[in-house]
Amino acid sequence: MLMIKLLKGLFVIALVLIFQLELFARIRFFGVMPELMLGVAIASGWNGGPSAGAITGFVSGLAIDLYLATPLGLSALTYALVGYLIGIVAEIVAEDVERIVRLVISITAVALGIIVYVIFGELIAEPNLYNKNFGKILVVAALYTGIFMPILHYALAWVFHQNTHTGHQRPLNRSQFT
Amino acid sequence: MALPRRNSGSRFTLAILLLSSVTLISLDARGYEPVTNLRKAAMAIVQPFRNMANTIFDPIGDAWESLSQGDSLEKENALLRTQLGELLEYRTTTEGAVEELAALRTQLDLENLGGQETVVAEVTAQSVSNFDPYIIEIGKGTQSGIREGMAVISVGGLIGRIENPGLRSAQVRLITDPNVNIGVLVVGTNQIGILAGNGVGQPLRVSDGIPVSAEVEIGNILVTSGSERSPYPGGFAVGTVLEVIVDEINLEKELVIAPTGQFEGLEFITVILYEPANSRNERDQ
Repeated sequence: MLMIKLLKGLFVIALVLIFQLELFARIRFFGVMPELMLGVAIASGWNGGPSAGAITGFVSGLAIDLYLATPLGLSALTYALVGYLIGIVAEIVAEDVERIVRLVISITAVALGIIVYVIFGELIAEPNLYNKNFGKILVVAALYTGIFMPILHYALAWVFHQNTHTGHQRPLNRSQFT
Repeated sequence: MALPRRNSGSRFTLAILLLSSVTLISLDARGYEPVTNLRKAAMAIVQPFRNMANTIFDPIGDAWESLSQGDSLEKENALLRTQLGELLEYRTTTEGAVEELAALRTQLDLENLGGQETVVAEVTAQSVSNFDPYIIEIGKGTQSGIREGMAVISVGGLIGRIENPGLRSAQVRLITDPNVNIGVLVVGTNQIGILAGNGVGQPLRVSDGIPVSAEVEIGNILVTSGSERSPYPGGFAVGTVLEVIVDEINLEKELVIAPTGQFEGLEFITVILYEPANSRNERDQ
Protein backbone atom coordinates (compact mmCIF):
# COMPACT_ATOMS: atom_id res chain seq x y z
CA MET A 1 0.00 0.00 0.00
CA LEU A 2 2.77 2.36 0.97
CA MET A 3 4.66 1.43 -2.19
CA ILE A 4 1.65 2.25 -4.35
CA LYS A 5 1.29 5.63 -2.64
CA LEU A 6 4.99 6.26 -3.15
CA LEU A 7 4.82 5.42 -6.86
CA LYS A 8 1.70 7.50 -7.35
CA GLY A 9 3.28 10.40 -5.50
CA LEU A 10 6.46 10.24 -7.57
CA PHE A 11 4.40 10.05 -10.75
CA VAL A 12 2.41 13.17 -9.83
CA ILE A 13 5.56 15.07 -8.81
CA ALA A 14 7.34 14.14 -12.07
CA LEU A 15 4.31 15.08 -14.17
CA VAL A 16 3.84 18.44 -12.47
CA LEU A 17 7.58 19.11 -12.71
CA ILE A 18 7.50 18.54 -16.48
CA PHE A 19 4.49 20.84 -16.83
CA GLN A 20 6.18 23.49 -14.71
CA LEU A 21 9.46 23.36 -16.64
CA GLU A 22 8.21 22.94 -20.17
CA LEU A 23 4.82 24.61 -20.30
CA PHE A 24 4.27 27.08 -17.50
CA ALA A 25 7.78 28.50 -17.61
CA ARG A 26 6.60 30.02 -20.90
CA ILE A 27 2.96 30.70 -20.12
CA ARG A 28 3.42 33.63 -17.78
CA PHE A 29 1.10 36.37 -16.58
CA PHE A 30 2.88 39.69 -16.13
CA GLY A 31 6.12 37.75 -16.39
CA VAL A 32 5.19 35.46 -13.49
CA MET A 33 4.61 31.72 -13.65
CA PRO A 34 2.68 29.53 -11.22
CA GLU A 35 4.46 27.76 -8.36
CA LEU A 36 3.03 24.33 -9.12
CA MET A 37 5.56 22.36 -7.10
CA LEU A 38 4.67 24.40 -4.04
CA GLY A 39 1.05 23.64 -4.92
CA VAL A 40 1.89 19.92 -4.82
CA ALA A 41 3.30 20.28 -1.30
CA ILE A 42 0.19 22.16 -0.16
CA ALA A 43 -2.28 19.72 -1.72
CA SER A 44 -0.30 16.85 -0.29
CA GLY A 45 -0.35 18.29 3.23
CA TRP A 46 -4.08 18.87 2.91
CA ASN A 47 -4.87 15.40 1.65
CA GLY A 48 -2.22 13.33 3.40
CA GLY A 49 -1.59 15.09 6.70
CA PRO A 50 1.51 16.76 8.18
CA SER A 51 4.00 13.94 7.61
CA ALA A 52 2.95 13.27 4.03
CA GLY A 53 2.87 17.02 3.38
CA ALA A 54 6.40 17.44 4.70
CA ILE A 55 7.80 14.46 2.78
CA THR A 56 6.07 15.30 -0.50
CA GLY A 57 7.02 18.95 -0.07
CA PHE A 58 10.63 17.98 0.46
CA VAL A 59 10.71 15.80 -2.66
CA SER A 60 8.85 18.28 -4.87
CA GLY A 61 11.08 21.10 -3.63
CA LEU A 62 14.18 19.04 -4.29
CA ALA A 63 12.92 18.26 -7.79
CA ILE A 64 12.51 21.92 -8.73
CA ASP A 65 15.77 22.80 -6.94
CA LEU A 66 17.63 20.77 -9.55
CA TYR A 67 16.76 23.42 -12.12
CA LEU A 68 17.25 26.55 -10.08
CA ALA A 69 20.43 28.49 -9.59
CA THR A 70 19.73 28.75 -5.86
CA PRO A 71 21.45 26.13 -3.67
CA LEU A 72 20.00 22.63 -3.75
CA GLY A 73 17.66 22.21 -0.78
CA LEU A 74 16.28 25.74 -0.45
CA SER A 75 12.91 24.95 -2.06
CA ALA A 76 12.91 21.53 -0.33
CA LEU A 77 13.28 23.25 3.04
CA THR A 78 10.47 25.70 2.33
CA TYR A 79 8.03 23.28 0.74
CA ALA A 80 8.52 20.67 3.50
CA LEU A 81 7.68 23.28 6.10
CA VAL A 82 4.64 24.59 4.19
CA GLY A 83 3.40 21.03 3.48
CA TYR A 84 3.67 20.22 7.18
CA LEU A 85 1.87 23.40 8.28
CA ILE A 86 -0.95 22.85 5.79
CA GLY A 87 -1.24 19.29 7.08
CA ILE A 88 -1.84 20.68 10.56
CA VAL A 89 -4.32 23.27 9.28
CA ALA A 90 -6.17 20.55 7.37
CA GLU A 91 -6.43 18.43 10.51
CA ILE A 92 -8.07 21.34 12.24
CA VAL A 93 -10.44 22.57 9.55
CA ALA A 94 -10.83 19.86 6.93
CA GLU A 95 -13.66 18.11 8.69
CA ASP A 96 -16.33 20.48 7.47
CA VAL A 97 -14.59 22.76 5.05
CA GLU A 98 -16.03 23.77 1.70
CA ARG A 99 -14.07 23.86 -1.52
CA ILE A 100 -13.91 27.62 -1.64
CA VAL A 101 -12.39 27.75 1.84
CA ARG A 102 -9.89 25.09 0.86
CA LEU A 103 -8.98 27.16 -2.20
CA VAL A 104 -8.52 30.34 -0.16
CA ILE A 105 -6.34 28.48 2.36
CA SER A 106 -4.31 27.00 -0.51
CA ILE A 107 -3.74 30.40 -2.15
CA THR A 108 -2.75 31.87 1.19
CA ALA A 109 -0.37 28.96 1.68
CA VAL A 110 1.23 29.60 -1.73
CA ALA A 111 1.79 33.24 -0.73
CA LEU A 112 3.19 32.10 2.61
CA GLY A 113 5.47 29.62 0.84
CA ILE A 114 6.83 32.35 -1.43
CA ILE A 115 7.49 34.65 1.51
CA VAL A 116 9.20 31.87 3.50
CA TYR A 117 11.27 30.92 0.44
CA VAL A 118 12.53 34.48 0.03
CA ILE A 119 13.22 34.86 3.76
CA PHE A 120 15.19 31.60 3.92
CA GLY A 121 16.97 32.53 0.72
CA GLU A 122 17.94 35.93 2.05
CA LEU A 123 19.01 34.52 5.40
CA ILE A 124 20.97 31.44 4.48
CA ALA A 125 21.59 31.08 0.82
CA GLU A 126 20.84 33.60 -1.89
CA PRO A 127 20.91 37.25 -0.87
CA ASN A 128 19.22 38.64 -3.98
CA LEU A 129 15.84 36.92 -4.00
CA TYR A 130 14.04 39.94 -2.62
CA ASN A 131 13.76 42.49 -5.39
CA LYS A 132 11.49 45.25 -6.60
CA ASN A 133 9.21 42.71 -8.32
CA PHE A 134 8.54 40.78 -5.13
CA GLY A 135 5.03 42.20 -4.57
CA LYS A 136 3.98 41.44 -8.12
CA ILE A 137 5.44 37.92 -7.98
CA LEU A 138 3.71 37.25 -4.65
CA VAL A 139 0.24 38.27 -5.79
CA VAL A 140 0.32 36.94 -9.36
CA ALA A 141 2.04 33.64 -8.49
CA ALA A 142 -0.39 32.96 -5.62
CA LEU A 143 -3.48 33.64 -7.75
CA TYR A 144 -2.07 31.89 -10.81
CA THR A 145 -1.21 28.80 -8.75
CA GLY A 146 -4.66 29.01 -7.20
CA ILE A 147 -6.19 28.29 -10.62
CA PHE A 148 -4.50 24.89 -10.60
CA MET A 149 -5.05 24.05 -6.94
CA PRO A 150 -8.33 22.14 -7.51
CA ILE A 151 -6.54 19.89 -10.03
CA LEU A 152 -3.60 19.41 -7.68
CA HIS A 153 -5.95 18.59 -4.79
CA TYR A 154 -7.66 16.05 -7.00
CA ALA A 155 -4.33 14.48 -8.02
CA LEU A 156 -3.01 14.31 -4.47
CA ALA A 157 -6.32 12.95 -3.19
CA TRP A 158 -5.83 10.19 -5.73
CA VAL A 159 -2.32 9.60 -4.35
CA PHE A 160 -3.52 9.36 -0.78
CA HIS A 161 -6.71 7.49 -1.61
CA GLN A 162 -8.94 10.32 -0.56
CA ASN A 163 -11.96 12.01 -2.07
CA THR A 164 -11.33 15.34 -3.77
CA HIS A 165 -12.68 17.35 -0.89
CA THR A 166 -13.67 17.18 2.74
CA GLY A 167 -13.84 14.30 5.03
CA HIS A 168 -10.43 12.72 5.05
CA GLN A 169 -10.40 13.44 8.75
CA ARG A 170 -14.05 12.57 9.15
CA PRO A 171 -14.43 9.78 11.69
CA LEU A 172 -16.71 6.91 10.89
CA ASN A 173 -19.63 6.62 13.23
CA ARG A 174 -21.03 3.39 14.47
CA SER A 175 -24.00 3.42 12.12
CA GLN A 176 -21.66 3.19 9.17
CA PHE A 177 -20.35 -0.13 10.41
CA THR A 178 -23.75 -1.72 10.54
CA MET B 1 -14.29 21.42 16.53
CA ALA B 2 -11.77 19.48 18.56
CA LEU B 3 -8.13 19.86 17.77
CA PRO B 4 -6.68 16.51 16.81
CA ARG B 5 -3.61 15.32 18.67
CA ARG B 6 -0.53 15.01 16.56
CA ASN B 7 1.92 12.29 17.34
CA SER B 8 5.57 13.14 17.68
CA GLY B 9 6.28 11.08 14.55
CA SER B 10 5.27 13.88 12.17
CA ARG B 11 7.39 16.39 14.09
CA PHE B 12 10.33 14.02 13.97
CA THR B 13 9.83 13.57 10.20
CA LEU B 14 9.75 17.33 9.72
CA ALA B 15 12.88 17.79 11.83
CA ILE B 16 14.76 15.18 9.78
CA LEU B 17 13.65 16.78 6.51
CA LEU B 18 14.59 20.28 7.61
CA LEU B 19 17.96 19.05 8.79
CA SER B 20 18.52 17.27 5.46
CA SER B 21 17.58 20.42 3.55
CA VAL B 22 19.98 22.61 5.52
CA THR B 23 22.73 20.04 5.07
CA LEU B 24 22.10 19.96 1.31
CA ILE B 25 22.12 23.76 1.10
CA SER B 26 25.38 23.87 2.99
CA LEU B 27 27.04 21.17 0.89
CA ASP B 28 25.83 22.62 -2.40
CA ALA B 29 26.92 26.13 -1.48
CA ARG B 30 30.42 24.76 -0.82
CA GLY B 31 30.44 23.04 -4.20
CA TYR B 32 30.63 19.53 -2.70
CA GLU B 33 31.20 17.37 -5.76
CA PRO B 34 28.98 14.34 -4.95
CA VAL B 35 26.00 16.69 -4.56
CA THR B 36 26.80 18.36 -7.87
CA ASN B 37 27.10 14.96 -9.56
CA LEU B 38 23.83 13.84 -7.99
CA ARG B 39 22.13 16.92 -9.40
CA LYS B 40 23.58 16.27 -12.85
CA ALA B 41 22.53 12.60 -12.76
CA ALA B 42 18.96 13.49 -11.72
CA MET B 43 18.72 16.08 -14.48
CA ALA B 44 20.03 13.57 -17.04
CA ILE B 45 17.31 11.09 -16.02
CA VAL B 46 14.55 13.68 -16.43
CA GLN B 47 15.94 15.18 -19.65
CA PRO B 48 14.41 12.68 -22.16
CA PHE B 49 10.96 13.30 -20.67
CA ARG B 50 11.52 17.03 -20.86
CA ASN B 51 12.50 16.72 -24.51
CA MET B 52 9.31 14.83 -25.25
CA ALA B 53 7.22 17.36 -23.35
CA ASN B 54 9.02 20.19 -25.12
CA THR B 55 7.96 18.80 -28.49
CA ILE B 56 4.35 18.68 -27.32
CA PHE B 57 4.21 22.00 -25.47
CA ASP B 58 6.34 24.08 -27.80
CA PRO B 59 3.46 25.06 -30.12
CA ILE B 60 1.33 25.99 -27.10
CA GLY B 61 4.12 28.15 -25.69
CA ASP B 62 4.68 29.79 -29.07
CA ALA B 63 0.97 30.50 -29.46
CA TRP B 64 0.79 32.00 -25.97
CA GLU B 65 3.84 34.17 -26.55
CA SER B 66 2.53 35.45 -29.87
CA LEU B 67 -0.83 36.26 -28.24
CA SER B 68 0.51 37.84 -25.10
CA GLN B 69 3.33 39.74 -26.77
CA GLY B 70 1.37 40.94 -29.81
CA ASP B 71 1.22 44.55 -28.67
CA SER B 72 4.79 44.64 -27.50
CA LEU B 73 5.95 43.12 -30.79
CA GLU B 74 4.20 45.89 -32.72
CA LYS B 75 5.81 48.51 -30.50
CA GLU B 76 9.16 46.77 -30.82
CA ASN B 77 8.75 46.70 -34.59
CA ALA B 78 8.06 50.43 -34.71
CA LEU B 79 11.01 51.10 -32.41
CA LEU B 80 13.29 48.93 -34.56
CA ARG B 81 12.25 50.83 -37.69
CA THR B 82 13.16 54.11 -36.02
CA GLN B 83 16.44 52.70 -34.79
CA LEU B 84 17.24 51.35 -38.25
CA GLY B 85 16.81 54.82 -39.71
CA GLU B 86 19.09 56.29 -37.06
CA LEU B 87 21.66 53.56 -37.57
CA LEU B 88 21.79 54.15 -41.32
CA GLU B 89 22.61 57.78 -40.60
CA TYR B 90 25.13 56.74 -37.99
CA ARG B 91 26.83 54.24 -40.27
CA THR B 92 29.67 56.47 -41.39
CA THR B 93 30.70 57.15 -37.82
CA THR B 94 30.58 53.52 -36.74
CA GLU B 95 32.72 52.44 -39.67
CA GLY B 96 35.46 54.38 -37.94
CA ALA B 97 34.80 52.52 -34.70
CA VAL B 98 35.02 49.16 -36.45
CA GLU B 99 38.39 50.14 -37.84
CA GLU B 100 39.43 51.17 -34.35
CA LEU B 101 38.32 47.80 -33.00
CA ALA B 102 40.31 45.97 -35.68
CA ALA B 103 43.37 48.05 -34.86
CA LEU B 104 42.93 47.34 -31.18
CA ARG B 105 42.64 43.63 -31.77
CA THR B 106 45.95 43.72 -33.63
CA GLN B 107 47.48 45.82 -30.90
CA LEU B 108 46.41 43.39 -28.19
CA ASP B 109 47.35 40.34 -30.23
CA LEU B 110 43.75 39.19 -30.37
CA GLU B 111 43.81 38.41 -34.05
CA ASN B 112 43.35 34.68 -33.48
CA LEU B 113 39.97 35.16 -31.77
CA GLY B 114 38.17 34.43 -34.95
CA GLY B 115 39.69 30.96 -34.82
CA GLN B 116 38.39 30.29 -31.33
CA GLU B 117 36.55 27.00 -31.21
CA THR B 118 32.82 27.40 -30.69
CA VAL B 119 29.70 25.30 -30.19
CA VAL B 120 26.25 26.38 -31.33
CA ALA B 121 23.51 25.25 -28.96
CA GLU B 122 19.76 25.50 -28.97
CA VAL B 123 18.06 27.40 -26.18
CA THR B 124 15.81 24.75 -24.65
CA ALA B 125 14.20 26.69 -21.82
CA GLN B 126 13.93 30.14 -20.36
CA SER B 127 14.25 30.75 -16.64
CA VAL B 128 12.17 28.32 -14.58
CA SER B 129 12.09 30.56 -11.53
CA ASN B 130 10.09 33.65 -10.66
CA PHE B 131 13.04 34.99 -8.70
CA ASP B 132 15.94 34.40 -11.04
CA PRO B 133 15.10 35.59 -14.56
CA TYR B 134 18.77 35.66 -15.54
CA ILE B 135 19.10 31.98 -16.39
CA ILE B 136 18.41 30.19 -19.67
CA GLU B 137 18.99 26.55 -20.49
CA ILE B 138 20.75 25.19 -23.55
CA GLY B 139 20.69 21.74 -25.07
CA LYS B 140 24.43 20.99 -25.00
CA GLY B 141 26.78 20.23 -22.16
CA THR B 142 30.10 18.73 -21.20
CA GLN B 143 29.73 16.10 -23.91
CA SER B 144 30.18 18.93 -26.43
CA GLY B 145 33.18 20.37 -24.60
CA ILE B 146 31.24 22.98 -22.65
CA ARG B 147 32.69 23.83 -19.23
CA GLU B 148 31.75 26.00 -16.29
CA GLY B 149 32.34 29.72 -16.87
CA MET B 150 32.69 29.63 -20.66
CA ALA B 151 31.50 32.75 -22.48
CA VAL B 152 28.23 32.69 -24.40
CA ILE B 153 27.48 35.02 -27.29
CA SER B 154 24.44 35.69 -29.45
CA VAL B 155 23.99 37.90 -32.47
CA GLY B 156 25.80 41.11 -31.60
CA GLY B 157 27.95 40.11 -28.67
CA LEU B 158 28.45 38.59 -25.25
CA ILE B 159 25.29 37.62 -23.38
CA GLY B 160 26.42 35.40 -20.52
CA ARG B 161 28.47 32.57 -19.14
CA ILE B 162 27.98 28.86 -18.59
CA GLU B 163 26.84 27.56 -15.20
CA ASN B 164 26.19 24.01 -13.98
CA PRO B 165 27.00 22.21 -17.22
CA GLY B 166 25.47 18.75 -17.38
CA LEU B 167 26.25 16.02 -19.87
CA ARG B 168 23.80 17.22 -22.52
CA SER B 169 22.51 20.49 -21.10
CA ALA B 170 23.80 23.57 -19.35
CA GLN B 171 22.57 26.79 -17.85
CA VAL B 172 23.61 30.23 -19.04
CA ARG B 173 23.81 33.10 -16.55
CA LEU B 174 22.96 36.27 -18.46
CA ILE B 175 25.06 39.41 -18.06
CA THR B 176 21.92 41.38 -17.14
CA ASP B 177 22.18 39.74 -13.69
CA PRO B 178 23.25 42.43 -11.19
CA ASN B 179 25.64 39.90 -9.62
CA VAL B 180 27.63 39.43 -12.81
CA ASN B 181 30.78 41.54 -13.22
CA ILE B 182 32.82 41.66 -16.41
CA GLY B 183 36.10 43.40 -17.13
CA VAL B 184 35.56 45.56 -20.21
CA LEU B 185 37.75 47.69 -22.40
CA VAL B 186 36.49 50.88 -24.04
CA VAL B 187 37.50 50.65 -27.69
CA GLY B 188 39.62 53.56 -28.80
CA THR B 189 40.92 54.19 -25.29
CA ASN B 190 42.98 52.06 -22.93
CA GLN B 191 40.36 52.32 -20.21
CA ILE B 192 39.33 49.13 -18.46
CA GLY B 193 36.28 49.13 -16.23
CA ILE B 194 34.00 46.70 -14.43
CA LEU B 195 30.65 46.21 -16.10
CA ALA B 196 27.68 44.92 -14.10
CA GLY B 197 24.16 43.88 -15.01
CA ASN B 198 21.23 45.99 -13.94
CA GLY B 199 18.19 43.74 -14.33
CA VAL B 200 16.07 42.44 -17.18
CA GLY B 201 15.47 45.01 -19.91
CA GLN B 202 17.70 47.55 -18.17
CA PRO B 203 20.94 48.98 -19.56
CA LEU B 204 24.20 47.65 -18.15
CA ARG B 205 26.48 49.85 -16.06
CA VAL B 206 30.18 50.46 -15.64
CA SER B 207 30.61 51.99 -12.20
CA ASP B 208 34.25 51.23 -11.45
CA GLY B 209 37.51 51.82 -13.18
CA ILE B 210 36.89 54.73 -15.56
CA PRO B 211 38.59 57.92 -14.29
CA VAL B 212 37.06 61.33 -14.88
CA SER B 213 39.91 62.24 -17.19
CA ALA B 214 39.21 59.30 -19.53
CA GLU B 215 37.99 60.31 -22.97
CA VAL B 216 34.94 58.10 -23.10
CA GLU B 217 32.11 59.31 -25.28
CA ILE B 218 28.58 58.27 -26.11
CA GLY B 219 28.68 55.65 -28.83
CA ASN B 220 32.01 54.11 -27.79
CA ILE B 221 32.05 50.32 -28.06
CA LEU B 222 32.94 48.13 -25.08
CA VAL B 223 34.59 44.75 -25.51
CA THR B 224 35.68 42.09 -23.04
CA SER B 225 39.07 43.05 -21.67
CA GLY B 226 40.52 39.54 -21.78
CA SER B 227 42.73 40.31 -18.80
CA GLU B 228 44.58 37.47 -17.13
CA ARG B 229 42.02 36.87 -14.40
CA SER B 230 38.99 37.30 -16.65
CA PRO B 231 37.01 34.15 -17.48
CA TYR B 232 36.09 35.67 -20.84
CA PRO B 233 38.33 35.83 -23.88
CA GLY B 234 39.14 39.39 -24.89
CA GLY B 235 37.72 41.37 -27.78
CA PHE B 236 34.05 40.30 -27.75
CA ALA B 237 31.58 43.16 -28.06
CA VAL B 238 29.52 43.72 -24.91
CA GLY B 239 27.76 47.04 -25.46
CA THR B 240 27.86 50.66 -26.55
CA VAL B 241 27.95 53.70 -24.31
CA LEU B 242 24.51 55.31 -24.00
CA GLU B 243 25.28 57.87 -21.33
CA VAL B 244 28.29 59.11 -19.40
CA ILE B 245 27.66 60.25 -15.81
CA VAL B 246 30.46 62.02 -13.96
CA ASP B 247 30.85 61.00 -10.31
CA GLU B 248 32.45 64.09 -8.77
CA ILE B 249 32.96 62.42 -5.39
CA ASN B 250 34.90 59.37 -6.54
CA LEU B 251 36.37 61.18 -9.55
CA GLU B 252 35.14 58.45 -11.83
CA LYS B 253 32.86 58.22 -14.80
CA GLU B 254 29.84 55.97 -14.63
CA LEU B 255 28.80 54.57 -17.99
CA VAL B 256 25.33 53.46 -18.97
CA ILE B 257 25.67 50.73 -21.56
CA ALA B 258 23.27 49.34 -24.15
CA PRO B 259 24.11 45.66 -24.59
CA THR B 260 24.92 44.66 -28.16
CA GLY B 261 23.97 41.02 -27.66
CA GLN B 262 20.44 39.84 -28.33
CA PHE B 263 18.56 38.69 -25.20
CA GLU B 264 14.98 38.49 -26.39
CA GLY B 265 13.59 35.62 -28.45
CA LEU B 266 16.80 33.63 -28.30
CA GLU B 267 16.66 30.34 -30.15
CA PHE B 268 20.34 29.56 -30.64
CA ILE B 269 23.46 30.81 -28.90
CA THR B 270 27.17 30.22 -29.38
CA VAL B 271 29.46 28.99 -26.63
CA ILE B 272 33.12 29.99 -26.93
CA LEU B 273 35.15 26.95 -25.95
CA TYR B 274 37.69 29.06 -24.14
CA GLU B 275 39.00 28.44 -20.69
CA PRO B 276 41.50 30.77 -19.09
CA ALA B 277 44.79 29.10 -18.18
CA ASN B 278 44.09 29.17 -14.43
CA SER B 279 40.75 27.35 -14.88
CA ARG B 280 42.40 24.68 -17.04
CA ASN B 281 45.12 24.18 -14.43
CA GLU B 282 42.57 23.88 -11.62
CA ARG B 283 40.61 21.29 -13.59
CA ASP B 284 43.71 19.30 -14.50
CA GLN B 285 44.76 19.16 -10.86
